[in-house]
Amino acid sequence: MKDINITICIGSSCHLKGSRDIVKIFERLISEHNLGSRIDLSGSFCMGQCAQGVCVKVNGELHSLRPDTAETFFNDVILKKLA
Amino acid sequence: MLHTDNNLSTIKHEVLISVAKHAFQGDLEQSVEQIPYNLIPGPQANFRCCIYKEREIIRQRVQLAQGHSPSGGQGNRNIVQTITAACEGCPITRFTVTDNCQRCMGKKCQQACNFQAITMLPNRAYIDPAKCKECGMCAQACPYNAIADLIRPCKKSCPVDAITMDENNIVVIDEEKCIHCGSCIKDCPFGAISDRSFMVDVINLIRSGKEVYAMVAPAVEGQFGATASIGILSKAIEELGFTGMFEVSLGADFTAASEAEEWYEAYKEGKKMTTSCCPAFVTMIKKHFPTLLDNVSTTGSPQMLTSMLIKKLHPNAITVFIGPCIAKKSEVLDYVMTEGATDYALTFDELYAMFKAKDIDLNSFGENKQQGSIYAKNFAVSGGVTAAVVQALKEKEADTDFKVQACNGGAECKKALMLLRAGKLPADFIEGMNCVGGCVNGPGSILTGRAAQQNRTKLLATADNRGVLDTVKQYEELGIHTHVR
Repeated sequence: MKDINITICIGSSCHLKGSRDIVKIFERLISEHNLGSRIDLSGSFCMGQCAQGVCVKVNGELHSLRPDTAETFFNDVILKKLA
Repeated sequence: MLHTDNNLSTIKHEVLISVAKHAFQGDLEQSVEQIPYNLIPGPQANFRCCIYKEREIIRQRVQLAQGHSPSGGQGNRNIVQTITAACEGCPITRFTVTDNCQRCMGKKCQQACNFQAITMLPNRAYIDPAKCKECGMCAQACPYNAIADLIRPCKKSCPVDAITMDENNIVVIDEEKCIHCGSCIKDCPFGAISDRSFMVDVINLIRSGKEVYAMVAPAVEGQFGATASIGILSKAIEELGFTGMFEVSLGADFTAASEAEEWYEAYKEGKKMTTSCCPAFVTMIKKHFPTLLDNVSTTGSPQMLTSMLIKKLHPNAITVFIGPCIAKKSEVLDYVMTEGATDYALTFDELYAMFKAKDIDLNSFGENKQQGSIYAKNFAVSGGVTAAVVQALKEKEADTDFKVQACNGGAECKKALMLLRAGKLPADFIEGMNCVGGCVNGPGSILTGRAAQQNRTKLLATADNRGVLDTVKQYEELGIHTHVR
């Protein structure tokens, strides 16, 4: 079990809102910060909260993201949790 | 047009067809609550105690068909889920004395029991469940075969002991242990376990006008009848709205070629290795034999490499694997970070439902085509992966003087991995397939057994004699990177 488990909804609604782009942004940031051994990122079936998409769960807690807020979220929320 | 295995799949299919119909019409959200009433109009119950239970089962199945947990938001993330309303809570007293008991003089059962669990009632022996340790010695000892082993079918089918019961004897699947193989789905006689579906997501993306490509597993030949060739399926799948269809055997040729190189190197170094194409087998290693992860081939699975190939050709493609496999859904979720990986996975069951929902008749199409070699097509059968790797080595004129243990089914996989972990595996390589017989018997199949086999033999007889490396050479300029981890 890694320190942080991120699951990104890949259901169609979140897909259309850019869940794939968020995966790519996170993937880049994880590799830039060399956090591959501490962060686990996987996809998830529809979380049933389509209106709030893109749905991202960090250690089980639901967050609502957009591709343009993903990097700030990573820096403000995820990096802080690891600090 | 199509035939299915049994009554249970009929209920599953009715729900999937209904959900697919509404998803294609774009009115699923408004119709979801109506589906149980449409399928179970009443007033007479058909297969359970009352229509209310039947409707609840349908309602839970509709949830699964949309990818949700059947019991609402509180469920776990697992792909394989219990339909609690359908679970009968079968008896769990494992060893039970039957009418065959003669209350004999010898009482070998009593002597065989090391836990004093067996007493004699006036007409037969009795096993005290509180004392019984389920060792089975009494059943073996009885000269009349009077002691039945009543292990629950779901529990019996699970190769990794992921199934327990809650206080009401309803099945609980341990998310940490489950390898998504789907054996329990296939073996539950009440159809009380099923898998989450991406079908609605795929239909929505097709409807939104995205470029969605289908990739059909090598097990496809035989599933849709003896005449449903790759060419016919391809046209039918385009009729559903997919942009195009590729054969996963295309990627399987890449997998075989890449694994051939890996095996060759590993054999020189004296390192034992396992295949990586069966996701249930790989997850079994990840979750239950983590020290062996280094022994797993780093070659991407056929679905992964097919997806990478499609995305090189069509950069905006959304790729959808369609096969007999439930564990492939977990491969999709686990490899979400891998560049070019598959976006969604469906089962043949779900494809069948989509054909039915759109009233597509496979007989109305012609023309044939072939993308992968016959060796790649046989990835779907136990022993087939080894045969394809050996073929690739032969084409490279390399030595094939090694021993491979083809593990046919979860139990054999587990046994071989235990030997490998203990350093006692005689073979050099393990071919791991969690379904007995191979993917052709996967839990997401429409048809298994002899009928499927006969169809398959007819269809495969038309395949040409291209080699594994011919496919790889054909797409050489794409520069597919075959290793993932």
